[in-house]
Amino acid sequence: MTRLTPSQELVRAARMSRRSLMKSAVALGAVGFAAPIYSTNALSSSGEMNFEGWAGYDDLKGKVFPAFEKATGIKVNFKEAAEQDTMLADAKTAVQSGAVDVTEPTINSLPSWSAEGVIQAWDLGKLAPGNYLAGVPGAEAGGPADVDGKRMWVPSCWGTEALTFKKDTIDGTYGKIGLADLWDDKYAGKVTIRAHSSLSAMGRVLDAAGKLPQPWMDSYKDEATMRKLWDIALAEAIKHKKNVAQFWSSENEAQGAFRTNGAELGLTWDSTGANMAAEGFGFIAPKEGAFGWSQGFVLLKGAKNVDQAHEFAKWISSAEGAAAWASAFKANPVGKGGIDLMDKAVSEFYAAAYPGDALSKLWWWPAQPAWWLKTRGEYADKWKSA
Amino acid sequence: MTDLIQRYGRGLSWLSIGLTAFWLLALVILPYLGLFEQSFRPYLPVDEIGGPNDHYTLHNYMALFSNPQDITLCLPGKDTIPGSPIYLPDLVVNWPIHLYIFILTIVYSSVVTLIVLMLCYPIAYCMAKVMDPRSLPTFFLLLVIPLWVSELMRSFSWYIILSLNGPLSTLLMDLGILSAPVRWTWGLCGYSGIMVGLIYTYVLFMLFPVYNAMTSLDSNQIEAAEDLGAGWIRKHWRVIIPHCKPGIASGSVTVFMLAASSLLVPSLLASPKSRWFTEVIQQWMFESHDWNSGAAYAFLLLVVCTIFVTVMMKLFKVGLSDIAK
Repeated sequence: MTRLTPSQELVRAARMSRRSLMKSAVALGAVGFAAPIYSTNALSSSGEMNFEGWAGYDDLKGKVFPAFEKATGIKVNFKEAAEQDTMLADAKTAVQSGAVDVTEPTINSLPSWSAEGVIQAWDLGKLAPGNYLAGVPGAEAGGPADVDGKRMWVPSCWGTEALTFKKDTIDGTYGKIGLADLWDDKYAGKVTIRAHSSLSAMGRVLDAAGKLPQPWMDSYKDEATMRKLWDIALAEAIKHKKNVAQFWSSENEAQGAFRTNGAELGLTWDSTGANMAAEGFGFIAPKEGAFGWSQGFVLLKGAKNVDQAHEFAKWISSAEGAAAWASAFKANPVGKGGIDLMDKAVSEFYAAAYPGDALSKLWWWPAQPAWWLKTRGEYADKWKSA
Repeated sequence: MTDLIQRYGRGLSWLSIGLTAFWLLALVILPYLGLFEQSFRPYLPVDEIGGPNDHYTLHNYMALFSNPQDITLCLPGKDTIPGSPIYLPDLVVNWPIHLYIFILTIVYSSVVTLIVLMLCYPIAYCMAKVMDPRSLPTFFLLLVIPLWVSELMRSFSWYIILSLNGPLSTLLMDLGILSAPVRWTWGLCGYSGIMVGLIYTYVLFMLFPVYNAMTSLDSNQIEAAEDLGAGWIRKHWRVIIPHCKPGIASGSVTVFMLAASSLLVPSLLASPKSRWFTEVIQQWMFESHDWNSGAAYAFLLLVVCTIFVTVMMKLFKVGLSDIAK
């Protein structure tokens, strides 16, 4: 879930070449070169920890980590990654060196992390599970954050993918506008979407209309079912291809589509809606329910500062920590009481985006195992090339 | 070798040889070998690597030939040139999706190379034979100035220029040439933006080798051709182009390889129809986490481009040693 400002986007692209270099080094097995770039006294566990998280959120370094250090005396060594794929790539090398203790993937990619064998379970006795808001993924036992009965992931903040619309031309009243509008002929050449999530949107629209042989959620069960359902969604989407003004894949591209490329309606991250608010755009949950994402912390195998890592996750579940983390990401807090401590502008934006029963209708992205990601990519290629 | 030692002394010679060897071995050859080895193994979770499922297979390479999809081919005529009298019926094929993207990447990279060559040849000729040598430094400076800005910034500027409400549409509408704004990245079957971006980015990689080759041609030969009554077509065809062949070849190889392996331009200047093979490789690596398939696709791109370039060089009778001149 990359949400970057244009300048951060530039930095990210500039880093590309360096990242691919690192990949080659990894492929070579030269893990030792790449890994130990952090704490020099990592061997003796101390009042510090190594965290690899999302790049481009300056408040983390400027406000959140200092506040955490003040509260607990633990210093956070922060390594930035532009996307969670990079985090997973780094985690693969860090399990051997112990260079990273904690990273922050989204819940739907937890199966990949778990399957890669790079993470270990949290010790709930050292956390405060009662702090979490009910309904947030990972808050309760038996949810998607558990693997073999162990809590592998605890939440840090959450947000949505919903509709950004131009206020002049589109009536974005909650309950009137929905995912089906993305495919409506009246928006020909005016829609911006992400290739793979738009196919999921089509799937949900078809599902709601009773046009699928089995529920859309079944497409997450096995590859054969996924292909059966995604073939239907793809064929239907291709019929409406003329609606697409531009595919976006990063925050920057989504904003560009609205600003200069003639898009008036889009299925975008909430951050895009927030960033475009000043330019005459609104952000609203579709009547079918917004796509929800939730990011959180995993503890890597071979972590050297396990106690500090638990302190860290526990602090983020407190009202103060949850509000700080959510404010830095312009997202929603996971801890009880967090919303009351948030920046006014952010909490008001969210109140407007999810009126009425919108929050109870959230459609959380299901877990995404490796075979699913691979097949999703193939369908995205077919959809884009069509 | 003895020349080198005589000229620079023992220490400096060995240092430069050592550094070059290190660069080639440790930073190019070894990583490539590692990637090559990975490309023949299945994508497995970390704790299964080295286990019973970890065996060599061609599966990653064969993926290119699987997953067919009905594709309506975009043929010249109909949509590409508005109002064109040529009308070709829709041709629907059922091709493996990644193979289709791969073929398009090669085709469009070849077209880019050709256009760049046609642009650069007259400019190089002017610079080498027509322009006052005293104004050349200024001209070079003007050519190089755009390179001071990063490739990303330049490509993003093109994205803005070519977009629906961008400066180009606005200007043409103000001038009364267009009545409605146009998405300039949508032309040529959805690849016009990418082509503009690639041509703009790589034009100098053609210009300099061709210019170099042209300066080494004795102007007396051109005069002799003229004196013997050659028209300007014959003059270029029989005298100048043959002499410049090594420059043209090395420029074409560079531009083709850079275009086919470009990632930034095809993703920034994409249309809703375009897809570049490097984007598929990136998707394997960064979205599917499947480095093994990514490596296999990367090698396919490398191998096929190398074969393509070799065949082209054979066809135009250019040897490797000509390029190195």
